[in-house]
Amino acid sequence: MLRFYNMKKKKNSRKKNHQDTKSKVLEQQMDTDTSDSLEDRVNSIKEVLGSNDDLILKNFKIFGQFQAVMIYFSNLVNQNIINNDILKPLMYVPEHLIGRDKPLSMLNEIIINETLYHSEARVGGDFDQLIEILLRGETVIFIDGIKEAIHIGTRDVEKRAINQPETEQVILGPREGFIENIATNIALLRYRLPTADLQVKMMKIGRLTKSTVAICSIKGIVNETVVKEVEKRLSEIDIDAVMDVGYLEQFIEDNPFSPFPQTQSTERPDKTVANLVEGRVAVFVDGSPFALLVPVVFNQFYQTTEDYSSRFLMGSFVRIARILALVFSLIFPSLYVSFISFNPELLPTDFAVAVAGGRAGVPYPAVIEVLIIEVSMEVLREATVRLPKQVGGALSIVGVLVIGQAAVAAGLASPITVVVIAITTIGSFATPAYSAAFALRMLRFPIMILAGIFGLYGVMVGIIFIFNHMLSLKSFGVPYMAPVSPGNSEGIKDVIIRAPLWWMPKRPNFLHANNRQRLVQNENTILKKNKIGND
Amino acid sequence: MEDTKEVSTLQATSILISTIIGVGVLPLPLFAVQSGDTGAPIVTLSGIVLAAIGLFILTFLGVRHPQNTIVTYNENIIGKWIGKLCSFIVIIFFFILTGLAAREFGEVVVAAVLRETPLEVTVIVMLTLACLSARNNINTFTYIHNFYVPVILAPGLIIVALSLKNGNILYLQPLLGSNLQDMFTGMLTISALFQGSFVMTMIIPYMKEPKKAMKASFWGIFVSGGLYLLIVIATVSVFGPEEIKQILWPTLELARTTAVPGNILQRLDVIFLAVWVTAVFTTIFSSYYFTINSIKEVFSLKDHKMLSYFILPIVFILAMIPQNLIQMYEIIQFIGKIGLIITIFYPGLLLLIDIWLSWRRKKSVTQQS
Amino acid sequence: MLHNNHKIALLLLIFLLLPLLSGCWDSKEIDKRANILAIGIDEAKTKEQKHEDEIAHFKNKLPISNEKMIKLTAQIAVPGRIPLGPEQGGGGPTNPVLVIPVVGHTIDDALVNLQQEVSNPLFLGHLRIIVLNEKVARKGTQQINDFLRRNPQIRRTANLVVSKEHASSYMKVNPKLERIPSLYLADMIDNLSGLGKFPPSFIGLFWTHLSSKGQDAYLPYLSIKGKDNIQLNGLALFKGERMAGKTSPLEIGDFMSVIGIYKGGYGAFSMVPGTDTVVMIGTKTRRSRIKVYLKKGKPHVLIRVRYECEIDEKQSQKVYIANSGMVKKIEKEFSGSVEESIKSFIKKTQSKESDIFGFGEYFRAKLPKYWKGRVRTKENWEKIFKNDLTFNVKVDTHLNRVGMKAK
Repeated sequence: MLRFYNMKKKKNSRKKNHQDTKSKVLEQQMDTDTSDSLEDRVNSIKEVLGSNDDLILKNFKIFGQFQAVMIYFSNLVNQNIINNDILKPLMYVPEHLIGRDKPLSMLNEIIINETLYHSEARVGGDFDQLIEILLRGETVIFIDGIKEAIHIGTRDVEKRAINQPETEQVILGPREGFIENIATNIALLRYRLPTADLQVKMMKIGRLTKSTVAICSIKGIVNETVVKEVEKRLSEIDIDAVMDVGYLEQFIEDNPFSPFPQTQSTERPDKTVANLVEGRVAVFVDGSPFALLVPVVFNQFYQTTEDYSSRFLMGSFVRIARILALVFSLIFPSLYVSFISFNPELLPTDFAVAVAGGRAGVPYPAVIEVLIIEVSMEVLREATVRLPKQVGGALSIVGVLVIGQAAVAAGLASPITVVVIAITTIGSFATPAYSAAFALRMLRFPIMILAGIFGLYGVMVGIIFIFNHMLSLKSFGVPYMAPVSPGNSEGIKDVIIRAPLWWMPKRPNFLHANNRQRLVQNENTILKKNKIGND
Repeated sequence: MEDTKEVSTLQATSILISTIIGVGVLPLPLFAVQSGDTGAPIVTLSGIVLAAIGLFILTFLGVRHPQNTIVTYNENIIGKWIGKLCSFIVIIFFFILTGLAAREFGEVVVAAVLRETPLEVTVIVMLTLACLSARNNINTFTYIHNFYVPVILAPGLIIVALSLKNGNILYLQPLLGSNLQDMFTGMLTISALFQGSFVMTMIIPYMKEPKKAMKASFWGIFVSGGLYLLIVIATVSVFGPEEIKQILWPTLELARTTAVPGNILQRLDVIFLAVWVTAVFTTIFSSYYFTINSIKEVFSLKDHKMLSYFILPIVFILAMIPQNLIQMYEIIQFIGKIGLIITIFYPGLLLLIDIWLSWRRKKSVTQQS
Repeated sequence: MLHNNHKIALLLLIFLLLPLLSGCWDSKEIDKRANILAIGIDEAKTKEQKHEDEIAHFKNKLPISNEKMIKLTAQIAVPGRIPLGPEQGGGGPTNPVLVIPVVGHTIDDALVNLQQEVSNPLFLGHLRIIVLNEKVARKGTQQINDFLRRNPQIRRTANLVVSKEHASSYMKVNPKLERIPSLYLADMIDNLSGLGKFPPSFIGLFWTHLSSKGQDAYLPYLSIKGKDNIQLNGLALFKGERMAGKTSPLEIGDFMSVIGIYKGGYGAFSMVPGTDTVVMIGTKTRRSRIKVYLKKGKPHVLIRVRYECEIDEKQSQKVYIANSGMVKKIEKEFSGSVEESIKSFIKKTQSKESDIFGFGEYFRAKLPKYWKGRVRTKENWEKIFKNDLTFNVKVDTHLNRVGMKAK
């Protein structure tokens, strides 16, 4: 609650600034709104945007008789459309209009309804709207003597082709990922969800970027209070620029100081759709190839779409392996430290004696040793991300093999430590959600230090502390650890194993979905039917 | 954040289970054998029954007053000032209980695992953990208990299952090991291990269906009592009563004797202790939360978050009072018996007065009409 | 307001957690510990007694007389000498363990003296085997047990054995099968019960038997053969906490039959009736049933043993085992000889007053009235076991298989 209060306070103060920082050039020109003189308006436009060399102002005559100016940014528009679909019909009187009386008062209607070969032509808009429209890539036409301007959607910005999502690769399953363009993203969504229930609400966030934000959900499934809450939290954001959906995430999450992500971002349309169908809300921002899914629960972060598209046994097996990897990446080094420094009696004697032999030359206590290697591993990992692809492979080989080998040979680390850290690092890569994997990677360090002070007791205290924190987290009113605690028999089938789809006829209830029926038939009838089919 | 009424019956059960199972597991077989010899299982069983009766009385009272906890509805039954006094005694008792549980935990850790680490540090770490977690609301309290129940039950069950093959049924015979008087005191000692179940009174007002509280109480005591009984049976059958009398924490010793098939880990006791930390945490957490919540209600405070910090030093000082382990166990057994008056006799008395009051009220209503 | 609260809370927490900064009290790396793998305990000779310096106590100020002084030989693993992974060629043969003898009045006293000679802290968590010299065992094990019970590092599954020779010589033997000598010894004892050669025996079980009122303890009895080989030479019988005698190795088989250890491991020669040939019969599994009752106020035990056996070897080629009648005869002959052997074995334990079978526990459990009225203590039971107890043994042998040979 406290944070929220602070946030609001900050926002209010920002709102005051808002008035001040609003484009000053614009304000001076506000009075031109009322003018219908072509020259006045062109001059005002020039006043505001004239410093841009890519602003094109083209004088021409509509139907050879009305003086008009067409304004657009040459880099933002599709020239072909302007030439063929706008200029051509306007300058060259179409056949059906020849000989007809074209009064100035009716001109706008005639142009839009009978002349232009373009569906996105509208009339109107006051001056600062028109400026914004221009900046977004539309074409504005001022006609001498007519107050309302015509603006036509001619935006054409280069966009990336749809390709495989980089961060969430799967072996089985769809290959397409979102791109930066929000229209394409929503198209991808609609392509998978051709239903009238899909509701997409748009809003603009960012004083300078004016980014389009879309809130998508499925009517009848989603809990409307969650949608309202999302809208409320989003509308309270007042920031100058929104570059990525991650900006929004930081404003709408419940606990900003928690290491755990309370929203999920995904690049995959199929995943987004699956979540919408479960009753979640997806938030898109223009310019970000990620969708933000809320509310989330923790187990979502180790699930992949592949779990559901592969068969039940395979999906469950892979998921269990992934959970193990998750546990490894969190506690393996600290367990190692507590075994080596506190409870060597737990190891089999032969092994213990051998480990002692391996460590014989190492000058540091196990905690320090593990911390040194862990930190250098983190550095190496970060470096590998930044490196150009061509060099990356070479460096990771040098880093891992050569440094590892040399560290052991130099007596800086024992060979077992290197093995432990290697397993941990590999384990942390097996978690599909980057943000959750990062949380665990980070929490590894405090647990390691606790292990260095208290051994296994410290590890346990650390784990209990983390779990308690997770249990107290909520994402948009949904307990973070649901459906494990509070338990839910329907949801628990999808936590450690992935139960067969026909085993889960209902949507999990922790999302408080309106309509909980997922399968029409219940499992018994499906089983029976399949059996009969086999006989 | 309003505390809504959404604790389900299952969650209430799991709160009871994880609260009851705690530090007491370790010396339990010793207590049972000291007074019951080979009759230890019967002593344990009777202790469980006594504790169950107490819990049922409390639950019955709670169901009659589904809006309040015992520290507030007692004022309606025995008057404001006596009620406040009684609530005060209950709060002090839970202070001591929390402190002693933390101390007993610290003693075990220092004796068995962290031999050089100061006792104060282990105790304070545990109390801090409880203190920080107690700042959450009752729903999170429920989630935490619910989450840890499997972790608490599993190690006990695994060790029982693995050790039963070394068991010798002769050690459990004859069923009645000693005289009735000894068994009676043993029953009291063991039933005192179940005093954590008093938190039930705090849960009932938050339950979705307070009427089903009785069911939760029954299953709570059934599962935790069942585990206690299994542990006693396993320990006695493996060691025999005479050997147990020589061991301070027989359950821990049972874990030390048990080997995992395949020799992955040479010793289970350290692992057992590590997981047992969870059980201790939930117990201390419960009594800590109960203390705070009761203080909050008696003095009708709004928020318990700060209270959580202020109480920490007091509990810590209480934990440090016993001079050594032997004195600590004397105090624990003494306090435990006094606690029975508070957790069984006192609710029983309240219930009688309450029933009498409502009977009188009914009578006066019928007389008027 | 809220803000202030948080600050106070944080300050409070920091103060509470300050002591942690001086932490790592118990942290001691595995290679910085002196891992004691095995301990041998002997009587200290008068000459050695003088070696003790004033470490744990001042001379002549201890109520324990010097006669009970022990010599403790510890085997400590030397970390650097044991290479990781498979042994690589080259390098001189270095001894991976360090053997240090010390003297002391008690085991703890001796360990304190030992610590004075070793730089790293002694660590008993990997103590796998404790060898007691027969003489020490005969004098009593109580003071050894007390220390081992109290110390949380000791495993309850460690092995305790009695040795014929000096325990110190067991610390020095160097078996070729394993790199670390004490591990060989410990594995050997562990494997004995897997092979059916010895009933389960570890220090925890020994303690349980010591405490039980109606049972006496037993331990493996070892001796050294040749230079570096160790042999299981029998069973050390205990009366109370003192060793009372030993058995022959074959009698271990009898003992295991009586207490019904399922896995059989001993073989015995048996005459083929009507010929002068012997066959070797190996026991595969055994089962036993013990019933106790009072006969005219005296305790009586009935033991039924059932063997599942196999013919391992036949001495002569002239005799064929070709019909079931023959097999029956051999079974009967074998049963008879085993019965005799068990009877004489029980008599032997009776003479030593050592009820290693735990008959007393049966009486305590099944006949509590008798136990409470007449026995009550372990000492009484040992007397009754020697003087009053009668028993009967019935052996039932089943020869199920004869191996892969037809005749």
